[in-house]
Amino acid sequence: MPLLLPDFTPALPEIFLACAAMALLMLGVFQGEKSAKEVSWLSVAALVIAGALVASRGMERRTGLEDMFIVDGFSMFMKLFVIAGASIALIAAIRFNAREKTERFEFPILILLATTGMMMMISANDLISLYLGLELQSLSLYILTSYNRDDVRSTEAGLKYFVLGAVSSGMLLYGSSMVYGFAGTTSFTSLAEIFGSTDSGSIGIIIGIVFISAGLAFKVSAVPFHMWTPDVYEGAPSQVTSFLSVAPKIAAMALFTRILYDPFGHLVGEWRQIIATISLLSMAVGALGAISQRNFKRLMAYISIGHMGYALAAFAAGTEDGVRGVLIYMAMYVFMVGGTFAIILCMRRDGKAVERIDDLAGLARTQPALAVALAIFMFSMAGIPPLAGFWSKFYVFYAAINANLYTLAILGMVISVVGAFYYIRIVKIMFFDEPAGAFDTPLGAELAGVIFVTALATVLFGIFPSPIISGAEAAAASFFAG
Amino acid sequence: MIALAFWLFATLTVASAVMVISARNTVHSVLFLIFCFFNAAGLFVLLGAEFLAMILVVVYVGAVAVLFLFVVMMLDIDFTELRQGFLRYLPVGIVVGVVLCVEIVFVFKTWILNPDMATVAAAVTPPLDQISNTQALGSLIYTHYVYAFQASGLILLVAMIGAIMLTHRARVGVRKQTISTQVARKREDAVTVVKVPTGEGI
Amino acid sequence: MANLLNNYLLPLIIIVLEILAIVVPLLVAVAYLTYFERKVLAAAQLRKGPNVVGPFGLLQPLADGLKLMMKETVIPSGANRVVFIAAPILTFTLSLIAWAVIPIQAGVVLADINVGILYLFAISSLGVYGIIMAGWSSNSKYAFLGALRSAAQMVSYEVSMGFVIVTVLLCAGSLNLSAIVNSQAGSYGLLNWYWLPLLPMFVVFFISVLAETNRSPFDLPEGESELVAGFFVEYSAMTFALFFLGEYGNMILMSAMTSILFLGGWLSPLPFAPFTWIPGFVWLFAKIAFVLFCFLWVRATFPRFRYDQLMRLGWKVFLPLSLGWLVLTAGVLTAIRTWSGTGG
Repeated sequence: MPLLLPDFTPALPEIFLACAAMALLMLGVFQGEKSAKEVSWLSVAALVIAGALVASRGMERRTGLEDMFIVDGFSMFMKLFVIAGASIALIAAIRFNAREKTERFEFPILILLATTGMMMMISANDLISLYLGLELQSLSLYILTSYNRDDVRSTEAGLKYFVLGAVSSGMLLYGSSMVYGFAGTTSFTSLAEIFGSTDSGSIGIIIGIVFISAGLAFKVSAVPFHMWTPDVYEGAPSQVTSFLSVAPKIAAMALFTRILYDPFGHLVGEWRQIIATISLLSMAVGALGAISQRNFKRLMAYISIGHMGYALAAFAAGTEDGVRGVLIYMAMYVFMVGGTFAIILCMRRDGKAVERIDDLAGLARTQPALAVALAIFMFSMAGIPPLAGFWSKFYVFYAAINANLYTLAILGMVISVVGAFYYIRIVKIMFFDEPAGAFDTPLGAELAGVIFVTALATVLFGIFPSPIISGAEAAAASFFAG
Repeated sequence: MIALAFWLFATLTVASAVMVISARNTVHSVLFLIFCFFNAAGLFVLLGAEFLAMILVVVYVGAVAVLFLFVVMMLDIDFTELRQGFLRYLPVGIVVGVVLCVEIVFVFKTWILNPDMATVAAAVTPPLDQISNTQALGSLIYTHYVYAFQASGLILLVAMIGAIMLTHRARVGVRKQTISTQVARKREDAVTVVKVPTGEGI
Repeated sequence: MANLLNNYLLPLIIIVLEILAIVVPLLVAVAYLTYFERKVLAAAQLRKGPNVVGPFGLLQPLADGLKLMMKETVIPSGANRVVFIAAPILTFTLSLIAWAVIPIQAGVVLADINVGILYLFAISSLGVYGIIMAGWSSNSKYAFLGALRSAAQMVSYEVSMGFVIVTVLLCAGSLNLSAIVNSQAGSYGLLNWYWLPLLPMFVVFFISVLAETNRSPFDLPEGESELVAGFFVEYSAMTFALFFLGEYGNMILMSAMTSILFLGGWLSPLPFAPFTWIPGFVWLFAKIAFVLFCFLWVRATFPRFRYDQLMRLGWKVFLPLSLGWLVLTAGVLTAIRTWSGTGG
């Protein structure tokens, strides 16, 4: 019997990244702890090369590896932003780790492996590859969360994340088994054909979709599966949180989009209500929960819950506009949240990291550049017009209104006005409160660079949003081309 | 004969599974779990999946459960204490259980199998009358499912890195045996023969 | 009624008879292995060994057996009775049931299953339970420590043993034991057997077998100078005898496994006329006896390992070595197959 290997070329970036991670692991193991910095920079280089490989693929839709893997414009767009998010977090973490004396070569390697998992999630075209990518990503994140293993908060956060993550994986698998039980196949392509031909799903399918959605909603930390988020964000070491809050969210959102639009696309009437409800609840809980927070990382947790709500609002549309809205939202999200976390990593006073919002008081007088950058991120997240965040919200609500989801759109706008309160409060604390003392300087070239680039991107994409928007449009078009 | 063996294995599997959760002594629970694996392996044999059966015994019984037993024996857990909240949480548990049961009933009541299921499932399986079970499994794993197989390998790698990273501590001040230096040691490096003149010392 | 007789009863009787045909000689072999051991050790230490009971002391094993049967079975008051009794029975049973798949001669095997080697491996990996259960249920710290040591030791060495087995079955292309023996047949006789092409694996396997059967120099589980007698301190009379039988049975089993995997099973070492007339089982027995002699030889020669040395050897030497050799073997086989153009 001839053994024929499938075509591996569509997965080239993933294979490269996995091999790079293993090679760097060997390097780290043989060189010991002192190689941490070297491994970190080489990991960044590996991410850049993987990004180049992704970009060189083009937007053409192709499946490979026995139909388990798919590449198209959508996956390319999402992968590039996952890689951008991972690189930002990794570069920002290098200096932070050096200062906190937490340098270990496993850190960049786990980030590389987690990124590989995310790219596998984005390209999943089968329930099996979906699950494997998801687990690769999650397992790396659980470990990273308890990275400071001597710190009670970090280990507690890791344990919490692990236990709840395992529950959500269980729900996902339960849902998948229902779907498999009906269709007898796990491939998205065949599933789409089957659901396209049968007029409506049976209750089994609906329950399957509900469970899969619940599992994925956990991964994007959408309400009512958000409980882990504040604790994990606060407990995890800051350099990990900055990774945790950006790249995995994009990957999970991409996966969510892929699975509900592609195999279950014909059942949009069945799942739209679920997504709209989740979206509305996430926006509301994100906004209301954020108001009373004193810890900046905890605040960011609620902010990211809210952001996921907005992205899901576009998602609920179920149209090409919706996909475009999600793409634009996640793209802008990378710069805003990545930049904000780089600033959190700068918050050190007298050699110790601080993370309370009050510690920002009077920042405008002590470190005006940092204050301006943070103000840019805050205004952008609030959706104030000339900044990137405005466009992301604009296209979200545009998609929702075009799909006749008026209630969702109107309530979302009201909530975003409520949300502006805590963004503006931070700006007020920075610019008008009595200074609480300067943060330790120098910030380090890496951190300063990351903050500068992300702030610049936030402003530039606010003024000239067309590259992202046209890219997202092409990606969304290629998603529906297949 | 086959039917008899099936009922034997099936009954024992279920009975030992029940004992796993109802035994008072945790070590007994683990032993019943092992017995359960063993019977499950028997069921695999009856299905003609002999490779899986043996691997189940080798991996789960021979390695995983041993470590399980290790941990359970070393930890002094009083499970009666852990069960104290049982009655308090029982209503919640029952509600969840009933909801899941109702869901399953609904699902099965309206179950429509995809008519093409048989062809979809059979497409990838090599003909079993031509090659052995082990060979069939191998040729599928390394061709059709090579992506899933390799991805699982990556997940295990991450687990290994994690286990080492979270628990391994390089202790200082430990004198380790380095066998290579011991072997490489020569007599000239260690001992010198000195001629000691009588009555003078060194 | 006749139907029932023909369909169930008759096959059952035949199976039982077949089992007895293997088990009875095996038990005799176990008894005389103890005699053999004492004689070999005595010779190594320039003593005489047993020579009082019967001619040349040949009845000594029977006398020992009789003594153990006459003694009282003591169960410690703190012991977990069921597990305590079950442990020796398990050990003994496991050492017997593995023989079902051992081919004694071409075509002579009780159960000629497809995955014979995996079955053997699975059964030998179960052996650890007898020890853990005994150690735990005795409620004694020496027994428990011995059990923990032995469990860790057996699990560790099983890993490299598994890789060695995979290497062999890559060469043989089958998991069936008879097929593995047949694939070693060739015109060069004993030079065709796998011990030569896979020499490093043969050495790793033999040493791992010593560790797996808790034989010296890896007999830490019963290390009498530290742990009195290890996991079976609390056992006496028949329960002890069962452990004893089980352990020696395991030794014979592992020797048989070594003979089949590396020493050509029932094949004659010199594949021409006078030697091929000798029936295969004689060759197999001779090979088993040779491997057993090596066991005893090692025992008479080497001091006991320290525990960290034992773990180092297993994980840091054998595991990488066997893994590397596995990759190498696979590569060589693929290369041969590609060049000879028989497949791909």
